[in-house]
Amino acid sequence: MKLEVKNLYKSFSNTEVLHGVSFSVCSGKALGLLGRNGAGKTTTIRIIMNLFEANKGEVLLDGRKFVLKNHSISYLPEERGLYPKKKVLEQLIYLGQLRGLSSKTSKQNALHWLNRLGVDEYKDKKLETLSKGNQQKVQLAQTFLTNPDIVILDEPFSGLDPVNSQILKDIISELIAENKLLIFSSHQMGYVEEFCEEIAIINKGNIVLTGNLKKIQKEYGMNRLTISSSNKSLEELKVIIQNEINNIARVVEKKKEYLIIELIKDSSKKDFLKAVMDIDIDIDQFSTYKPSLEDIFVEKVGEN
Amino acid sequence: MKDLFTVFKFEFIGLLKKKAFIVSTILICFALVVGMFIPTIRDTFFSSSAEDDIVIDESFEGSDKTYGYIDMNNNIANIEDLKQNFVIGELEEVSSVDELEEKVNSEEFEAGYIILEPTKYNYIVKNNEMLDSSNVVFEDALTKAYQIQGFGEIGIDHTEVEDLINPNIESETKVLGKDSVNNYLYTYILVFGLYFMIIFYGQLTATSVASEKSNRTMEVLITSTKSRNLIFGKVLGGALAGIIQFGLIILVGKISYDINATAWNNNLDFIFDIPSEVLLSFSAFGILGYLFYLFIYGALGALVSKTEDVSASATPITLLFIGVFFISIMGMQNTESILLEVASFVPVSSFMAMFVRISMGSVSNLEVIISLAILLFSTVLIGYVGAMIYRMGTLMYGNPIKFKDAIKLLRNK
Repeated sequence: MKLEVKNLYKSFSNTEVLHGVSFSVCSGKALGLLGRNGAGKTTTIRIIMNLFEANKGEVLLDGRKFVLKNHSISYLPEERGLYPKKKVLEQLIYLGQLRGLSSKTSKQNALHWLNRLGVDEYKDKKLETLSKGNQQKVQLAQTFLTNPDIVILDEPFSGLDPVNSQILKDIISELIAENKLLIFSSHQMGYVEEFCEEIAIINKGNIVLTGNLKKIQKEYGMNRLTISSSNKSLEELKVIIQNEINNIARVVEKKKEYLIIELIKDSSKKDFLKAVMDIDIDIDQFSTYKPSLEDIFVEKVGEN
Repeated sequence: MKDLFTVFKFEFIGLLKKKAFIVSTILICFALVVGMFIPTIRDTFFSSSAEDDIVIDESFEGSDKTYGYIDMNNNIANIEDLKQNFVIGELEEVSSVDELEEKVNSEEFEAGYIILEPTKYNYIVKNNEMLDSSNVVFEDALTKAYQIQGFGEIGIDHTEVEDLINPNIESETKVLGKDSVNNYLYTYILVFGLYFMIIFYGQLTATSVASEKSNRTMEVLITSTKSRNLIFGKVLGGALAGIIQFGLIILVGKISYDINATAWNNNLDFIFDIPSEVLLSFSAFGILGYLFYLFIYGALGALVSKTEDVSASATPITLLFIGVFFISIMGMQNTESILLEVASFVPVSSFMAMFVRISMGSVSNLEVIISLAILLFSTVLIGYVGAMIYRMGTLMYGNPIKFKDAIKLLRNK
């Protein structure tokens, strides 16, 4: 299965908020939809979920128009909410039935997921009597209730403590292993890096970067190195590189433990190392630079 | 269709389980049962027929009270004529005005009368109260005594004159059309019941939709099934709960009355013996009108983000509905009025106005069918428009949207 979002445009009250958003993702993979607050992630997801109609563009599944009701799809909205005054199991069975399950299967699945998420003891309690974290877990149970082929999670980790985050991480890993198609939006880059093979970064309604995460990281790390010295401070090292070997490399950024430098034109690692040794710098750490997703994100959507 | 039934069942059972629903139904039914059993309980435990007469006599307020009088110039020839006609108490003669005033002042007498001439008297009372009417009764008694004395003086028997002036007229009414007098009460009860149900369940539906929006259940729901299923299921579920409640109250009232009809001397037959065609038309028009308004209230609930905004948002439609109620109630006085006739074809009012015309006036079958068809079509239409507004309003958070703006937005779509 391949889900393609093609050239989506959306306006609210004559203000265009999406300006041609496109990305794609296949079964067995997770796509991380990243962007700052108000970038257009939730609007894009709501168009996929047919909650909003796009002004232009389309959503395709295996090359055909994606019709929500013809597929098993599940959605965890950013705006969480279920019936606070209804019992947990009662409302999960109801939602399962609305998504096509029989009453019996719906109950079985609900109990399975409540158990899996460790909240089965609250099945006969009203939702409002549960803690925020447990309510969040009930919300996750409703998402996975129908064993869907496509799962869309909008900020799934928000509100979860580290233990519960680990439970959700395990579930997400299982879903990917079961060949499900997963789209998930998050601000927490660590989680995206952990699960998502593909990423799409949205900035102000435009896709600014999309593709395979590893490839992107490799491209961003190309020609970049990290270095630190045991006989010079990072600041001293920075000044030396800027003044004495600026024909070979330039300093990109000073991190806490090392400097990130970029080789200029046709210079090689060997040229750089030779120049550094000539200036009597005692190298403490030297490696090729592997940017984190956060680095890439900040570089792409940061104000500067 | 399956989803519609699932939503309907969830909403319906949810309402039946609500404490407010259970308690209000039980309380109203209990009050009805107690009310209907009162005459039976009274007959069984508190009285016999002989005692009943005494009760009637005693029911005259102040019958054991004493009033004083003094006839200054022996104006009344037969004082018994005066005493017999003074029905609110006993008249006791005193010898002087001072004694009369003293006994009134000490509250031995309720009041006192000084008869100056056959048609002139002074009234003595301690505190002149707003509702005091004993001097009116005394005037009647004085008039009677004067008349008896006067007729006697010219040799005419007063009772013969009395029979001539106030003859006992007997009559029977044969109603060929509708008997508005007898139909008035049950029509009023049914119309008022419908009014109450629409206001109550309308607000309940609007609040239920608004709370789904405010607690953010809405987004999960509309990605799980069509919005049409959600609003139709919710409205139909609420409607059935209301109909069951109303039906149960009527049924409990009817059964309780049937058991106690003898004790009531069949005096309430005219309320409970509702003709079947009236009940049928009430069911058809009432249910459609009920659904018509519930769809509007449901859509209104989707236009606000907080449950506390529901009343303000629903005010225009509630005012319109109250207007319809008053037109129908006023129409019960005159079922031939043009206003009622027009209202009986307009869908916002026909369910009530046409029912009033059917129940209390004369209306042709063709008119009933046309009105019912218009109402049926409008209800289905408003259901679909309601579903569209509901769908549109679901993800619009923030300030409440006005109904007319929602229609404009729909038209632009």
